[in-house]
Amino acid sequence: MTSKLNTVGIIGLAAITSLAATPALAAGTTAGTTITNTATVDYQVGGVAQGQQSASNNFTVDRKINLLVEEVGTVTTSVVPGQTNAVTTFQLTNSSNEVLDFALVASQIVGGTASHGGTDTFDASNVRIYRDNTVTGTVGSWDVGDTLLTGFVDELVVDTAIRLFVVADIPTGLANNAVAGVTLRATAREGGTAASQGAAITETAGANTAGKDTVFADIAGVTGDAARDGSHSDNDDYTVQTATLAVTKTSRVISDPFNNTTNPKLIPGAVVEYCIAVANSGSVAATSVVINDAVPAQLLFSAGTILLNGTVTGTTCNADGAAGGSYTAPNVSGTIATIAAGATRTLVFRATVN
Amino acid sequence: MRTVLFLFLAALLPGQALAANQVALANDVFVERISTDAQGKQRILLEEPKVVVPGDRLVFVLNYRNAGAQPADKFVITNPLPAAVRFADAGETRPLVSIDGGRSWGQLDQLTVALNDGTRRAAQPDDVTHIRWAFQKPIPVGGSGKLMFRGVVK
Repeated sequence: MTSKLNTVGIIGLAAITSLAATPALAAGTTAGTTITNTATVDYQVGGVAQGQQSASNNFTVDRKINLLVEEVGTVTTSVVPGQTNAVTTFQLTNSSNEVLDFALVASQIVGGTASHGGTDTFDASNVRIYRDNTVTGTVGSWDVGDTLLTGFVDELVVDTAIRLFVVADIPTGLANNAVAGVTLRATAREGGTAASQGAAITETAGANTAGKDTVFADIAGVTGDAARDGSHSDNDDYTVQTATLAVTKTSRVISDPFNNTTNPKLIPGAVVEYCIAVANSGSVAATSVVINDAVPAQLLFSAGTILLNGTVTGTTCNADGAAGGSYTAPNVSGTIATIAAGATRTLVFRATVN
Repeated sequence: MRTVLFLFLAALLPGQALAANQVALANDVFVERISTDAQGKQRILLEEPKVVVPGDRLVFVLNYRNAGAQPADKFVITNPLPAAVRFADAGETRPLVSIDGGRSWGQLDQLTVALNDGTRRAAQPDDVTHIRWAFQKPIPVGGSGKLMFRGVVK
């Protein structure tokens, strides 16, 4: 910094006026800007105006590296086993006073508690990062028109937030409520060259230099991401929401040729009712549930007795439902359109003992 | 910091009584940093503006002195705010401020800003473009003083 005192005339004043005309930016003064402050004195001696005096100082605004990675929304992304292109959404904000590149890494947490509770138990595959296309397609949500990034965001202007999507595929065979945590970390890199990732940025060590110094001002991110390291990060997670089905099969004797329906016994000619109950203990509905049951050779299927989509009370089959299903010896089969989470639906049929 | 005095010779300047009535003005800027010690006590440190980034608080200090041989009258110090600095406050020095580039002046709490809908709102520190201290009494020979104001790097 320099400071000087001089006597200025009209020309000197004009020069000072132009120095003070540094443009102001909403985002913060651009790194490298010189700020000059000038004060002037007007006074009289013995009633006579004297020449104006002025004093100035100036200093250079240094580079403040600050960025923010935030999960968008505060809920987990629900996925089903085998789902492709499961999306978690983040926002990256460049709060620095310079245009910068940002290196991006999407990683998966290993064990431990995920962002929205639950223990991380699996890893998603084929993890990619997309940048939202804010012109076409579905703005704010992932679609195929978004830009697949190759490890960095190019030339992100000052005070600008962009939406990033971490897109991954979910393995098959996962249990309900299985969780995979993902972390998106962005690290500031030098800007200035479009379409290529800039060099790494280091904080200016030691004494101030006359030029533009670099100061890291980012806050701490996820565990292991310290404050003032030029990077920031946040977590999100995938939670498997699937149907969990359990099948039970019960039977009861309806009648025999001698006792009829009063205390019937399992003798040849007796009618037996089978109830196949499918219980969904998962957290989402199961659809198109196909039930197949082979009728034992000692029994003769009673045509037209299949009832589909019936209910149970407790563990007791209500033997209700709508007619349907089909029989192709030796199999009884039927399809239940939907079994809601927590619900049990049945397929009921009758057969006669040979 | 380096302070350099450029004093023109009287022979080079028009007008009378100028060389004998110099007023010295020095303009310094510091960065105001608040540090908290192990006991939790806050200390305010004024540092030279070595590392300055947007959001930093600045303290501008103006030192004046009548180095001439006669009292200086109608003594007015004017400081346009740098465009990249937002005015914060001027401590107890109660300056006049301008919010229109130096055309009109007043105490900040008496100025208003016209809005698009025709109404007026009270002026805020953000609106200040110039600061001015106008002294009511002459500065005696050898008299000196210090003025200050705070700003924030935009």
